[in-house]
Amino acid sequence: MIEIGLGHYLTLAAIIFSIGVIGIFLNRKNIIIILMSIELILLAVNINLVSFSIYLQNMVGQVFAMFILTVAAAEAAVGLAIIVIYYKNKGSIHVEQISSLKG
Amino acid sequence: MLAHSLFFYFFSSITVFSAIMVTVSKNTVYSVFFLILVFVSVSILFIMIGAEFLGMIMLIVYVGAVAVLFLFVVMMLNISKQLVKQPSRKGLINNISVGSIVGTIIFLEVLIVIGGWKYKDTFVSLSSTNLNLEISNTHALGNILYTDYIHLFQISGMILLVAMIGAITLTFTKRDNVKRQNYFDQIQREKSSAISLVEVESGKGVKFDD
Amino acid sequence: MEYAIVLLPLLGAVISGFFGKKLGSRSSQILTSLFVLTSSILSLIIFYKALVHDYTSNKLIFNWISSGNFYVNWSINIDPLTSVMLVVVSLVSAIIHFYSIGYMSHDPHKTRFMAYLSLFTFSMLILVTADNFLQLFFGWEGVGLCSYLLIGFWYKRPAANAAAIKAFVVNRVGDFGFAIGIFLIFFFYDTVNYNEVFQLTPLYVEKKVILLGIELNLITLICVMLFIGAMGKSAQILLHTWLPDAMEGPTPVSALIHAATMVTAGVFLVVRCSPIFEYSTTALNIVTSVGMATAFFAATVALVQNDIKKIIAYSTCSQLGYMFFAAGIGAYHVAIFHLITHAFFKALLFLGSGCVIHSFKDEQDIRLMGGVWKKIPYTYVLMVIGTLALTGFPFLSGYYSKDAIIEFAYLKGNTIGYCAASVGVLTALLTAIYSWRLIFKTFHGKYKNKVNSLSSIHESPLTMLLPSCFLALGAIFIGFLFKEMFIGHDSSQFWNSSILFLKSIQTHYLPAWLHILTPLIVVLAIPISYYLFVQNEKILNNFVLKNKSLHNFLLNKWYFDEAYNFIFIQPLKKAGLFLWKKGDIDTIDRYGPDGLSRVIKIISDKAVNFQSGYLYHYAFVMLVGFSILLTYLILQ
Repeated sequence: MIEIGLGHYLTLAAIIFSIGVIGIFLNRKNIIIILMSIELILLAVNINLVSFSIYLQNMVGQVFAMFILTVAAAEAAVGLAIIVIYYKNKGSIHVEQISSLKG
Repeated sequence: MLAHSLFFYFFSSITVFSAIMVTVSKNTVYSVFFLILVFVSVSILFIMIGAEFLGMIMLIVYVGAVAVLFLFVVMMLNISKQLVKQPSRKGLINNISVGSIVGTIIFLEVLIVIGGWKYKDTFVSLSSTNLNLEISNTHALGNILYTDYIHLFQISGMILLVAMIGAITLTFTKRDNVKRQNYFDQIQREKSSAISLVEVESGKGVKFDD
Repeated sequence: MEYAIVLLPLLGAVISGFFGKKLGSRSSQILTSLFVLTSSILSLIIFYKALVHDYTSNKLIFNWISSGNFYVNWSINIDPLTSVMLVVVSLVSAIIHFYSIGYMSHDPHKTRFMAYLSLFTFSMLILVTADNFLQLFFGWEGVGLCSYLLIGFWYKRPAANAAAIKAFVVNRVGDFGFAIGIFLIFFFYDTVNYNEVFQLTPLYVEKKVILLGIELNLITLICVMLFIGAMGKSAQILLHTWLPDAMEGPTPVSALIHAATMVTAGVFLVVRCSPIFEYSTTALNIVTSVGMATAFFAATVALVQNDIKKIIAYSTCSQLGYMFFAAGIGAYHVAIFHLITHAFFKALLFLGSGCVIHSFKDEQDIRLMGGVWKKIPYTYVLMVIGTLALTGFPFLSGYYSKDAIIEFAYLKGNTIGYCAASVGVLTALLTAIYSWRLIFKTFHGKYKNKVNSLSSIHESPLTMLLPSCFLALGAIFIGFLFKEMFIGHDSSQFWNSSILFLKSIQTHYLPAWLHILTPLIVVLAIPISYYLFVQNEKILNNFVLKNKSLHNFLLNKWYFDEAYNFIFIQPLKKAGLFLWKKGDIDTIDRYGPDGLSRVIKIISDKAVNFQSGYLYHYAFVMLVGFSILLTYLILQ
């Protein structure tokens, strides 16, 4: 327990990953929370990659983590733009009222 | 070593706590703040583990750009009005219990996968990507990013460009009461439709038909 | 030539049935009648050949089943018994065809009627010319079917429909026994062809089978089963209930089917299987007892009936009983002889009653007739001839055949023979009484009809009278002409191999008093019944009033219908209702199609909730699926 090894970092990543996943379907407030949960998931993956990279003495993990960072930022931007437009059209971003896909 | 583990536990507990508060807190602005806290603590962890470039980049990009973007949007949309309480199912099988069960299952599975992972004995790493402890993290990253992974680098730039265009296209609105220049029309204007020669008689003036 | 005999009626039926509308009713009627007439002339020729040249033949129509050792053919088998039956069937059928041209002249469905009549004739001919049990069964079922079609010919009447179904169902009960008999024959003999079965029978005399824990003689069991079929078809007691109701059909139908041909199929079966029956005295005794019981029962019921056709129907039932007990005592040739004479005079009686009904404008109750013998003299003469022949008046046909039955029964010597003879004499008395009752009530006495006036009663047209005259000629002369040949001393030379006599019956030592007993009774019955029914009706009315319960018992046919209704119909109906409601609807349907559709509906109602439109629901489902996949991969 004192000696911090790979496993601890991986456990941390797993916890954050699960919290992000739960946050997607457990929130009852609005869609922004979903986007933030997605960011958490990506962050957990990042932690995973970086810890593996350090542990295995290989730079690939960090390179890939940087790319993930890039993509996460881009995706957050586009997602928020969509939310803005949606709010403009529908007037609300409360998750309970977004059921146009209802079939 | 003790300090290392102490630091690790301290910052990882802050991370976990903040992550939980992101999903749970009632005020959306608080959620964004907690998200920022998550990013900061993870970045500290990265610096601690030796990937300081990545930690700094995370601070700049995630906190400085993404979280601020979130904040902008939260402020722009009227979120405070959306606190409508909807009835959740009473009894044992309600959202929270089912969700926590599924979440726990996923967590345990991720652990099992990782725990059971045995890396190959004959693990050969690329020589150029090996961690070289004499150079800094930034230097090492730069060594392989611009040589071996240059294509991916360019493509990620492309992704950012596309995202930017997409965001602008989505949210761009033409306002009706703002005069704008339409340079296509300006360039395509013909002499015949722009200018007309009028014979003016002295003392009479010219009649305009606007 | 044999092919023409059997297949011409079929051709007539097909043409009249399918193309009757195009041909027009007149030409289809004449066509079918001519076809059957040709058939009858050809069968007369065959009969002559059989008589003089001992002609037998077996013409193949078609190979039906040929599987390993088992082969069954459609064929036309002619031997003395068959030739006699051919003549009877085709001749009577031809006469009835011509009669129906006149009788059904007001009916809109003439072509259908003629088609059914010809189809019936074809089935009966297939039946009698069979050389194996399967073709016999085919003809058997065919005549049952045509009986159903013809009884329910006026299908718009519910009573006719009910009677047709009753006839078919009761026949079916008999056919069930018959089928079991054929199955037994096939199981033990491995063949159903007559000659092979008859040859193998002596080998199986001692064979026993275990049925439901009881040990029975195989031959007896087979004979009893075959006889059950005969009981159904020939309306013997217990399976007789369909015959009086079958009078719902038109009169020519009653004449053809229920007097001359179909009901005689049972007798034909027993006689044809005489090689099997001869080896089982138990079965023969059963046949005799049933025949006696039927003869007596039907005669008693006929005494009090009021519908003219029902009286003649019960008379048929009674005479069939005579034929069966003649067969049961071993005198098969006498049974066939009585069958022939009975065909003629019974058909004559039916056709005559058809003329009477026609004259009285569809009135059938004899209590509403009377006193018209001067107005419809030809009908009167025909009916009297028929009645004389039926009762066994000396020197007419019935006398020879009926008295021969009683004599042979007496000559048998054992108790059952004496019993049969006495029942026969008693029934002859009853027969005489009810037959003359019919004549006197219909033609003599006061005119009792309320609806029609006396002057409107006129004679029937010639198309109806002329065929009846032919039957009258037959009723008078057939007995005298063919007595020696069929039942005389050298008759076994004629019958040859078609009937088997294990022990020949003595014909010479006959007490003199027996000779004259029956004719005396019959002749005396005429003035007695005249007195009772015409002169002094009060005696009988008082008798009826004093014995109302007996009268009701007889009038309601010994309450057989009510008993069957109580024992069989109601419980079966309840069982059927139960099985339908609980078994079919509640169990099979509920767990089968209905249940399936309900379950699908319930599932789809629940499944609709998947498409809520909420994003987080979709994400949740995705997640659950992912975790399941992960679990599966981990556990592998």
